[in-house]
Amino acid sequence: MIVADDSLLLREGISRLLVEAGFQVVGLASTGEEALAQVERNKPDVAIVDIRMPPTHSDEGLKAAQEIRARHPDVGVLVLSQYVELGLAARLLAENAAGLGYLLKDRITDLDEFAAAIRRVGAGGSALDPAVVSQLLGRRRDDDVLEHVTPREREVLALMAEGYSNQAIADRLVVTVRAVEKHVTSIFDKLRLPVTTDSHRRVLAVLAFLRS
Amino acid sequence: MNQRLVIPAVAVAALVAGELAVVLTSTSQHAELRVVAHPEASVFVLLIGWSFVGSGLMAWHRRRTSRFGVLMMAVGFAWFAAALTASNRPVLFSLGLVIAPLWIGIFLHALLSFPMGRLESRAASLIVAVYYFDVTVLQLAWVIFADVQRSQDCASCPQNVFLLSDQPAVASAILIVEQAIVGVLCLVGALVLLVQRWRNATVPLRRALAPVLVSGGVCLLVLLFTILLEPFSYATGRLVGWLGGLAFTAVPLAFLAGLLRQRLARSAVGDLVVELSETATPPDLREALSRALRDPLLQIGYWLPDSNRYVDLDGRAFDLPPAGALASTVVEHGGQRIAVLVHDASLLDDPDLIRAACAAGGLALANARLQAELRARVNELRQSQARIVEVGDAERRRLERNLHDGAQQRLLSVALRLRLVEARLASHPDEAELVAASRSELERSLQELREVAQGIHPAVLSDHGLAVALEAVVARSLVPVRLSMDLDGRLPEPIEAAVYYLVCEALTNTAKHAKASKVTVQISCSDGRALVEVADDGRGGADMAAGSGLRGLADRVAALDGRFVVSSDAGGGSAIRAEIPCG
Repeated sequence: MIVADDSLLLREGISRLLVEAGFQVVGLASTGEEALAQVERNKPDVAIVDIRMPPTHSDEGLKAAQEIRARHPDVGVLVLSQYVELGLAARLLAENAAGLGYLLKDRITDLDEFAAAIRRVGAGGSALDPAVVSQLLGRRRDDDVLEHVTPREREVLALMAEGYSNQAIADRLVVTVRAVEKHVTSIFDKLRLPVTTDSHRRVLAVLAFLRS
Repeated sequence: MNQRLVIPAVAVAALVAGELAVVLTSTSQHAELRVVAHPEASVFVLLIGWSFVGSGLMAWHRRRTSRFGVLMMAVGFAWFAAALTASNRPVLFSLGLVIAPLWIGIFLHALLSFPMGRLESRAASLIVAVYYFDVTVLQLAWVIFADVQRSQDCASCPQNVFLLSDQPAVASAILIVEQAIVGVLCLVGALVLLVQRWRNATVPLRRALAPVLVSGGVCLLVLLFTILLEPFSYATGRLVGWLGGLAFTAVPLAFLAGLLRQRLARSAVGDLVVELSETATPPDLREALSRALRDPLLQIGYWLPDSNRYVDLDGRAFDLPPAGALASTVVEHGGQRIAVLVHDASLLDDPDLIRAACAAGGLALANARLQAELRARVNELRQSQARIVEVGDAERRRLERNLHDGAQQRLLSVALRLRLVEARLASHPDEAELVAASRSELERSLQELREVAQGIHPAVLSDHGLAVALEAVVARSLVPVRLSMDLDGRLPEPIEAAVYYLVCEALTNTAKHAKASKVTVQISCSDGRALVEVADDGRGGADMAAGSGLRGLADRVAALDGRFVVSSDAGGGSAIRAEIPCG
């Protein structure tokens, strides 16, 4: 694990928290370039990157994240941001959501969720912030297909969009995997989407559908 | 000498010199070395000399500072002096031999320095200098070594009194260098310069230069032709028959024709007065002046006394061009400077014409100046408005950045530590619960702080641009939105901010008042203008005066020199359109 954030306080704080949660932190970085160098050197499973870093404090982190993904496809990247933006999520996840996460920085205080997201990303899955997902689901549409989706299916849809696998969804909602599978099939049917079991492909499909 | 006496004195001198030249030519007992070779063309002795002196006097009278008139007069007198070769007395004849070709050198000098009276390029100076050397030093050298009676096959010629030693070989070598090499090179070089001058000239300048350049060019060709035809006679400065006579008479006449044309041009100023009294709107003013001065590229700058600068009619800064092909003339009206005309430098040749045009256009220019001044003020106002908006935006950006880098990060790290403490308090549930409560309180504060920061300045806009920022705005909208954007890359920051706030405000208004079922947002950029349109299908009736939000947006757009239109008919939906220059 490497942590890249230009704030010393946060960098240290996050790494202590991660150690506490049983992760091994192998490097710290305060700029996008450093993050890239750390990834080269230490080959972590996951790089946690703040989106806003020096020198311009705009999208250095984003660029570093894309660079890491291009050069080291096996390294998961978790992008953290003080604000989460739908448009940015779309840009970040544009082609491939595998091994990629995009979370609001505040989520790190909820250690269990944070750790689960890191593990998903490390295992080649995805993690999309619930705030982004709720922005997507809350969006008013003129062709409201979401009207036909039941509240329970909506919950499942949200978790799918966040990147959870069927097993994880079942655990969270305290139902059986079979039940989740049934919901998923029904949702894809209603949204007229081709069924896919790969959870990160599912994220892209749902995201693309909800943005359209 | 009293300047008023110069003209009569020169005229009398020219009459006398011409008379003497005719007497010398007609009483000459040898035909071979006369300046005008053929007896039937001897009328040109007078025509050429007098026309050069006469037009030189006119040129000098018009612009005494220019050397051009003096050079023209000098050509005429040198021409008369060349007639000394017709003399039957050995001393005068020999003197004539030495100075015979000098008039051609002066002619070349005058032609290349037309119309300003000075040689404007190094090449021209070089050609003239070499040619002077050619017709003085080399000519003298030839006279010293040439027994003219024999070498020029002129048995009836008087004795060459300057002959030091008869060296036929040396004399003919000098003659070859003088004529065939240096002479031809200089003449060809001068022709090339004339052609270049023509090609580089602006349209009005060409019109002014044409007669003299063309007739002068023909003269150079005649001289070349003469050398090629009679390679060894040129040293006596002779012309060949009618053709040469006509060509050289044409040059001063062409110059006089140019002067006459300027007189006619001045009558165009009369038309200008009439035209201005009929249609005196400022845009026509430039056209009218440009016609009167025959300079299609004429520009007018209006003087702003408060800020000591010129502006154009639209109030934009107007810079005077560096001296060169263009010249500028300040226009005064009622003792005040009001404007400057930037025109072709050739017009300086005729200062009276410019003066007349300025006088005729004075009142109209003074009126136009007021309009230009007003527009300049409006521009300044707009710029200061834009600066105020920019300063405000920069301040908001700074505040947001400070919150982000400061308070938000610190609070977050406090929340992190509380989380660590919480983990260590597993065995003390009460304390752990207290810490957890504090942490969730802190998290709520963080969320509120984030919303405040976002409200102060949408960081995502400056960090990632319009497309990314608007997607979230559209997603949050309570009315379904169709967003279409057609932009290549990012717009300048103030424009992005204006478009962003405009879309946000319009969507908020629609949600609050319009009872609309859908909104379309279209953003595009073409021909250097950014276009934004937000249209809904609601009940309409939006009023600019009703909301301060719309008012503020209109100000923001106006500060960027854009246009902002709200169209909203009861029952017909509302549309807000803005057009902002983004070139």
